[in-house]
Amino acid sequence: MQTIQPQMISRLDACKYLRDIFNAQNSKALKKAFDALGSSITISEEELEVTFNRYFVGPMEPVADPFASVYLDNPDVVMSQSTLQVRELYETMGFTYPLKNVIPEDHLGVELDAYYQLLYLEEKKEITYLSELRHYFLHEHMNLWVPRFIEKALRESEHDSKAITFILLQLKSLLIRETTTQGVTA
Amino acid sequence: MSYSKENVESIVNNGLSRRSFLKGLAASGVLSSFPGGILQANEDLNTKIPYLGQKSYQTFRNACPRNCYDTCSIKTYVKDGVMQFIEGAQESTYTRGGCCVKGNSYVKRVYSARRLKYPMMQVGGKGSGNWKRISWDNAIDIIAKKLLEIKKEDGTLLGAALTKYSGNFGITHYGIEGMFNSIGYTTRLAGTPCWPAGIDAQNLDMGDMWCNDPEEMKDSKFIILWGVNPAANSIHSMKYIYEAKKKGAKVVVIDPIFTETASKASQYIQIKTGTDGLLALGMAKIIIEAGLHDQKWLDANSKGYKEYKAYLDKEIKLDDVAKTTGIPLAMIKELALSFAKAKPATIWMGYGMQRHTNGGSMIRAIDAFVAVSGNIGKYAGGARYGHLSTWGFNYAALSQPKPEGSVGYSGPEGAKGEFAQVGGAKAAYTDRFLNINKTARELLNAKEPKVRLLWVACKNVFAQDFDRNQLIRAFQQLDLVVVADQFFNETAKWADIVLPVATQFEEYDVNVSYWHYWLSLNEQAIKPLFEVKSDLEIAAMLSKRMNQLSAGSCTFPQSADTKAMMVKEFNPGIYEQFGIKSWEELKNGPVKAKAVIPYADGKFKTPSGKFEFYSDKALELFGSALPAYLEVRKPYDKFRMTSPHSRWSLHSQFQNLEWMEDVHPEPYVYINPDDAEAKMVKEGDTVAVFNKQGLLRLKAKLTDNVQAGTLLMYEQWYNNNIYNVNELVDDTSSDMGAFKTGAPGVALHDTFVNFRKL
Repeated sequence: MQTIQPQMISRLDACKYLRDIFNAQNSKALKKAFDALGSSITISEEELEVTFNRYFVGPMEPVADPFASVYLDNPDVVMSQSTLQVRELYETMGFTYPLKNVIPEDHLGVELDAYYQLLYLEEKKEITYLSELRHYFLHEHMNLWVPRFIEKALRESEHDSKAITFILLQLKSLLIRETTTQGVTA
Repeated sequence: MSYSKENVESIVNNGLSRRSFLKGLAASGVLSSFPGGILQANEDLNTKIPYLGQKSYQTFRNACPRNCYDTCSIKTYVKDGVMQFIEGAQESTYTRGGCCVKGNSYVKRVYSARRLKYPMMQVGGKGSGNWKRISWDNAIDIIAKKLLEIKKEDGTLLGAALTKYSGNFGITHYGIEGMFNSIGYTTRLAGTPCWPAGIDAQNLDMGDMWCNDPEEMKDSKFIILWGVNPAANSIHSMKYIYEAKKKGAKVVVIDPIFTETASKASQYIQIKTGTDGLLALGMAKIIIEAGLHDQKWLDANSKGYKEYKAYLDKEIKLDDVAKTTGIPLAMIKELALSFAKAKPATIWMGYGMQRHTNGGSMIRAIDAFVAVSGNIGKYAGGARYGHLSTWGFNYAALSQPKPEGSVGYSGPEGAKGEFAQVGGAKAAYTDRFLNINKTARELLNAKEPKVRLLWVACKNVFAQDFDRNQLIRAFQQLDLVVVADQFFNETAKWADIVLPVATQFEEYDVNVSYWHYWLSLNEQAIKPLFEVKSDLEIAAMLSKRMNQLSAGSCTFPQSADTKAMMVKEFNPGIYEQFGIKSWEELKNGPVKAKAVIPYADGKFKTPSGKFEFYSDKALELFGSALPAYLEVRKPYDKFRMTSPHSRWSLHSQFQNLEWMEDVHPEPYVYINPDDAEAKMVKEGDTVAVFNKQGLLRLKAKLTDNVQAGTLLMYEQWYNNNIYNVNELVDDTSSDMGAFKTGAPGVALHDTFVNFRKL
């Protein structure tokens, strides 16, 4: 059983780098975000990406799909009820989503982006207006599926890939920290 | 404010609160403070839109393009850009508001988590499973450079090969062939794995493959469903069969397998596999001897009847027919005579029957029997097999000129397949044609130049072609394999580059059937998901890049709008045939071609202009002018193996969806209880089925629906299962097919195997 590494970076940065990992479109962007997260693991850009793709992207069936709907609605389909609920929530948060109907809104990278931006407003801009929505999103949406996603992927990565395990544990750590932190507006 | 679920829910669920909330959001300047990421601040907050319940459905017209008799007309319901459900279009009297289990799963298919999402490249070698995301630009650049490299080094593009078949029969999808036409003379895997022997047979007899409207079957007085299983594979046809039966028609199923359709028939006749042609010849002899043949029609409309009758008199012994087919003579006589007495009567021949080494000759024998009975050219009659009479589109996407100075093979132009044979001036060069039914061997053996690049579209080669071990070798020796598909199947596993392709709900297209007479539009109902692109867009991107790298190297349009391409496929002939003035009318629903009875005027497209019992062309090509009895392939192992379609899939499509997996999650071998007992196999036991080609391990199901001596395994592709029935099929050809489609078919059902309990 691995332990969660102590946090060396801020919650805001952790959220941002994890977002960037799950939204990376190429090896370089992925490695950059991975390194920024504070990993001491030595891994090439290419190896990190092919492993990451095997776990979360494809083209073959990934170890764990990074979509909420797959955990909350139906393990085989995206763009279902949960996705549309998240869509409405983003609209209420004041976001517009340029990839609407292209990449489902409940993709982990997009959700981390929403969470990051809301947290940023609170921490950096001291705007607390949206904190309730952030908490709602965290407690009543993300926390319902992201732990299941982490658990599914960890089952394989713990004996397979240090890099993926690191990412997952950082995500787990973030989630625990966020759900147990009262936050600036609490 | 403190965190309170009720408070937030009130914001989220109550329109009034939401409006004030959003107004506050805009007024407080929060939006300008968002740090920016994928999600953008919505500067134009529409506070007037209530949160829930006010968004209505938009509807779109679609059609199922996936190689099925029924080619259903579909109505698609979309809400806020998301497909919610589909239904069969009510306007089509054929589809009549219903879809089959596969069609009804389309929403699950489009939104399957398993869809290919991004262009990807396999970096650890074919089959390594090490995939990198690449941009479309990068993917197209790699392919364009490889094509230009081949051209430069070989002096031709014959080293670039295309294999495409029935994954999407939409008219604009011939743009894939168009893409290959537009780069020069290339290599094509030609022919059809499906129905070529029958196409040749009907062309020899009648000069065309043209069947009556299936909706007429409701008025047939006698229907023989011969080696066809519409209850599983053409469910919409069943309503006409039921209606005829209700009105008193007799419905007989002749099949070696007791199928779903057989269970609904008036009578089921279990025939020994591969003897159907002999039965038809025997039946013809019986009705001629009984004077029930249509002498008047034969005199006016046929060629070679005298020779045919002489053959029946001399060579066909009814006792032998009974013995060989396994059907009692009294039953054969009853069947033949009652068919001849009922007018109109019709026979529907399935595509399984012709998948034998004597398949074409069997179709010819049945055509001849229907002709002798006087049911050709009659309403609700006919020897039904299929038709392409509503396929008269422009094939604009297909018809691209060769780049100047293109070099290819010299010689006569060959056939390209059954659907889109486009004429044109005879060129100095042609493409190189390899037999699609011997893909592995042909790719390995092609020399001068060898094949270096293979493009796979609308086809799952590993699920549908033969000799998997050779296929792996063939793929591995290629420089670059590009697989454009919607799912990661085994063919994609052996690719260098996979390109994610749009479904018919994400592009425009137009669809007709090879069975019924309806024309349907495919509208783009939703945005393409992830980074998927239509095959036409892919072709356009390739053209643009090739021309950037080498001006004039590709003639395909450099930008592609699927709607604009689709519009170009229509012509006055199509409008006239379907009674519309514009394709736009199809937005109101599908339309049906004007009623026509094939050959009612007695005009056949044969050299003689008549129905040809005696065909000089058949003699020249296949060594027999008459539809003479040809014995089926001799067994080379203990049991015959038959591999029909299942109702849960269209060849290798659909079975990977969860709805299908729920009911049909794994492959089985169906064994007659007598055979199972001899091998001490019980229901559910795992058995090895093997022959000279390969070995499969799978569970046994015991059923006397299958004759003793025959094993049945469905053709399929399952997620996470390496089962592939074609591992046991050698690529032995059927007797016909090369005449019209460029290559003979495969004698799939003349496969022999043995089995043992594990």
